[in-house]
Amino acid sequence: MRNDRELDAEQLAAFGAELDALRQRTLADLGEADARYIRRIRAATRACCWGGRALLMFGWSAPTWLLGSALLGLGKVLENMELGHNVMHGQYDWMNDPEFSGRHYEWDIAGPSDFWRHTHNHIHHTYTNVLGKDDDVGYGVVRLFPEQRWKPFYRWQPLWVAVQAVLFQYAVAIQHLRLDKLYKGTISRAEVAPLFRQFNAKLLRQSAKDYLLFPVFALLLGGSGLAVLLGNALANLIRNLWTFTVIFCGHFTEQAVVFSPESIVGESRGHWYLRQLRGSSNLTGGPLLHILTGNLSHQIEHHLFPDLPARRYAALAVEVRDIAERYGQVYNSARLGTQCATVLKRIWIHRLPNVEPAGA
Amino acid sequence: MSLIPFAWMRASAPWLRPLRFLARRRWVRESDIDMVLAALHPAWRLNRVFARVEARRWVADDMLALTLRANGNWQGPRPGQHVQVYLEQQGVRLCRSYSPTALGADGTLEIAVKRQPGGRVSPRLVDWLAVGHVLELGPAYGELHWDLGSPGAVLLAAGSGITPLLGLMRDALAQGFRAPITLLHYVREQGQRAFVSEIRALQEQYDNLRVRWAVRDDTASELQGRFQGAHLDDSHAVGQVLACGPAGFVEQVRAWHREVGHGGVFQGEAFTPPTRTHGAPPQALQLTFARSQQRITVGSQRSLLELAEAHGLRPVHGCRQGICASCTCQLLAGVVRDLRNDQLLSEPGQSIRLCISAVHGDVVIDL
Repeated sequence: MRNDRELDAEQLAAFGAELDALRQRTLADLGEADARYIRRIRAATRACCWGGRALLMFGWSAPTWLLGSALLGLGKVLENMELGHNVMHGQYDWMNDPEFSGRHYEWDIAGPSDFWRHTHNHIHHTYTNVLGKDDDVGYGVVRLFPEQRWKPFYRWQPLWVAVQAVLFQYAVAIQHLRLDKLYKGTISRAEVAPLFRQFNAKLLRQSAKDYLLFPVFALLLGGSGLAVLLGNALANLIRNLWTFTVIFCGHFTEQAVVFSPESIVGESRGHWYLRQLRGSSNLTGGPLLHILTGNLSHQIEHHLFPDLPARRYAALAVEVRDIAERYGQVYNSARLGTQCATVLKRIWIHRLPNVEPAGA
Repeated sequence: MSLIPFAWMRASAPWLRPLRFLARRRWVRESDIDMVLAALHPAWRLNRVFARVEARRWVADDMLALTLRANGNWQGPRPGQHVQVYLEQQGVRLCRSYSPTALGADGTLEIAVKRQPGGRVSPRLVDWLAVGHVLELGPAYGELHWDLGSPGAVLLAAGSGITPLLGLMRDALAQGFRAPITLLHYVREQGQRAFVSEIRALQEQYDNLRVRWAVRDDTASELQGRFQGAHLDDSHAVGQVLACGPAGFVEQVRAWHREVGHGGVFQGEAFTPPTRTHGAPPQALQLTFARSQQRITVGSQRSLLELAEAHGLRPVHGCRQGICASCTCQLLAGVVRDLRNDQLLSEPGQSIRLCISAVHGDVVIDL
């Protein structure tokens, strides 16, 4: 497992100051190139989505249907990861361009952006891997760490995980509705009613667009509505599986650490940085992997600097790795396949209660 | 290069209503529609106002008048108001306020841009912007107005403060205002007297208009030095008084008007925020919440979020430590300090985070 050096308050302050300085240097350097980059990503996203939808209009012809679905899936991946996720973090707010404004961006996924800005930007990024605070640790249906209390329900978790991966966009969407609390009766129906309205409206729009309007449009053009519908379903599936993989490999790998709620009481900035470093794991790979993961392959850098443009993470990673080394911290980084295997192992092992050491 | 004529594009605005409805309800993304519209005509957008540069003309040594023609989304300001002009520089969309000096039918407006040495926007507007370029315009705002029933008008301008007053005066004369008008324009050098030929032409046309220039660095000039009451002769100093210029100038006129005050209404508008900074006693700082129309006196140590909450506002927020960007808000005017690193931010229209920003001088935020 990990072999981190424990840091005292003074070392933590110095550690935090180094990362702050790094953040400052990058902020001062933002400009034209970053703006051009995100606009190009958007142009590529549009080309993929519109190109994919156009190809699907040709019906069941195998090459166009497969290519169309794959292109649309790729477009949705780009839209969700490198474009939507990063813009909604406010990474491009400095551009002052309303089209890239973190507070107003609405992405092409079932969950409303406002929900995501709360559950992800606020809860997950502030309380990363803190048990009982960060819902992203298993999303309530998966037990990933021995520190999590076991329930009989977890026995079948490989199955729950598979269902969750296929329907990932919906799993993320309902996170903010607090169904568990509603079920237990700790919050009232009236309290979540406005959230449900917002949720239903977005869900209706998304489903109608992919599964009704475009298929009907194809019928009007004399094509096959079913081909379009299934093409859209395949594209959404591609996106769901990919985003699920990236997110689970970001925080639940073998060397990822979870924290107790007590450990963050009165937390300093240095400790927050340390927690982000220990709770996140990177994926190594080429530029294409980085773009397709929305640079969440640099999960550590993303968690240290969630509001810096993601295209900067690769350069930041060099310095962060150096800082981590000097402060004796493990820099958790491996290939996608390796990280993914350790996550699957966790899902398999922790489906059962912890095995008490013999004689204890 | 545009695929359709400007007039068609302007006339199309009402026809886009169904699309606007869909975009508002988020069935379609406005930026996607804007991309298609912009491909057809560079100034065409669904809701945003873009304007084409129709003409450029020097009106003083350091001031350029730009004639712009806005797309069909333009509502048109009242004379005396400002409009925001946006320009992208190094990836950042910057904005500055300019007062239209003339408003025409058909969406045309004239603004005058004074080159601010070392500025980020005005030198680029003056030196780079060419006929045919397209700029974004923001909504108009500003309180200056002309009372057509007033027995007279005294207009006091310093530097580029001439622009809103010229716009107001042109409009009032065109509407038949015939009571005496006195215009005093304070500048540093002879060459900075803006719109001289236009003003002289107005003088020939309307005999109720009197104009005098005060040139600071020219001893041969008719008037000298900074503003003083003696620059106005009594027979003309009646009715409403309008002043526009830097904060110090407007304060000076305001003080004079309070003292001498002859009944007329005073309106002043400063185009620089009062220069009070960090070192000043905390109680001197004013924080204005533009949307909720509230102004409070605050200290420079607490975050804007805490101040807003202490004042009963409930801004959207999240982590309260600069991570989640939930509390992002627009800085409309003034300077804020990033509490984490003491960095100062003063770009109007910039996004700031309330939880990590403190006031550093008087500040207006869009909350």
